[in-house]
Amino acid sequence: MSEPFEPRLLGLLCSWCAYGGADTAGVSRLQYPPNIRIVRVMCSGRVDPLFVVRAFEQGADGVLVAGCHPGDCHYATGNVFAEQRFERFGSILDFFGIDRRRFKLAWVSASEGARFAAVVTEMTEEIRALGPLRMKAHAWQA
Amino acid sequence: MASLIEQQIRTRASALLAEGWIDVFVGYRQGATLLRVAPFAARTPAEADRLVWNPVCGPNLVGTLRKYAGQRAGVALKACDACTVVELLRLHQLDRERLYLIGVPCQGMVDPDRVVAVAAGRVTSLVEDGAEVLIGAGNETLRHPRAALLLAKCAGCPAAPPDLYDETLGEAPPAPPAGDRFAAVRALEALAPAERLAFWRQHFSRCTLCYACQTVCPLCFCKECALTLERDDPRRLAREPASVFAYHLMRAFHLAERCTGCDECERVCPEDIPLSLICRKLELDRLEGTSRVAALPFPAPSEVAGEVS
Repeated sequence: MSEPFEPRLLGLLCSWCAYGGADTAGVSRLQYPPNIRIVRVMCSGRVDPLFVVRAFEQGADGVLVAGCHPGDCHYATGNVFAEQRFERFGSILDFFGIDRRRFKLAWVSASEGARFAAVVTEMTEEIRALGPLRMKAHAWQA
Repeated sequence: MASLIEQQIRTRASALLAEGWIDVFVGYRQGATLLRVAPFAARTPAEADRLVWNPVCGPNLVGTLRKYAGQRAGVALKACDACTVVELLRLHQLDRERLYLIGVPCQGMVDPDRVVAVAAGRVTSLVEDGAEVLIGAGNETLRHPRAALLLAKCAGCPAAPPDLYDETLGEAPPAPPAGDRFAAVRALEALAPAERLAFWRQHFSRCTLCYACQTVCPLCFCKECALTLERDDPRRLAREPASVFAYHLMRAFHLAERCTGCDECERVCPEDIPLSLICRKLELDRLEGTSRVAALPFPAPSEVAGEVS
């Protein structure tokens, strides 16, 4: 690979807060890295760890799950479930050798465009430093 | 030559069956070779005479027990198997009213592979004698300390027998030999993530996706599995390495807070992938409180009833 490494991030954003936050960031014309591909989900509690695993399996270098701040969940407790679930999931992910920094759970409200931009920028730079995950088959021999 | 425990199990099983307390008694029968046992369901007092209890009764019977969920079943349990029963009761997969649980003292089960390794020739007899095991191979009989032949899961066994049984046979066993069951997990955790990834990739590269680990697991009880649905996925069929990795990762996640460390997955793995490391990791997470549900020994089912809805 002669090209410089550009991390590929998947963002699973809660429809009510984080997705709105991303929108606010766009409307406010804030700069953030174009490395993230965003998928809107109805709630961070809807995110099955399988989605995260599949993202890594299909070549993502990092996955960001973002939802409402605790207490602000549109469905009252979805983000609490997400937090519990991903705390355990993160521990297993780490045990299997996928660096914990490659998976991030963040709380971003719909008005926090600047925070969304900051979270994405920080994560992109972190993963740029970590290097590619090379999970896909063709790269396994390397 | 039947051991005392074996005779007691047969007597109790046939009495319970004859009196109509249970429809089926689940235990072990002699397997294809001397060093193997197979799960066996006795339905009549006469069949109860085929039940065995010997030093290689390592497999977890509870997976078999779930097949008889609709019937009144008796079962002879080691402490570790009983922990699996507690877990299944917690998850509402077994009906305590339909179970008759007999606690059997266990000093740790012997690993058949280790017996084969120390024996000079074909093993013709295996008898336990206190803290030692007599292995008959060829023309000679070998006396070997039991502690040196134990299954990996039995060395450093933490299982205090849960307060669950309807009756208990024999005396409480001596405390299991001390050992750090988490040494291997901690060693792996001390590595850099990239090294751990390489470690697992190397092991999973042997995986043939036979799904034996999933099939045998007593805690893998969902009727429809998110992983099973993908068994016919082209990438799964092609055993694409990333897909194999994802399968094992998700299997581990699904077992988090369920796994009781019976190590059946590792026992059945035809490729000897060290799956027990994953079980130990999940157990460690429970112990260290990263997990919501507490570790072994489990709380009584009454305390946790209603926790999972």
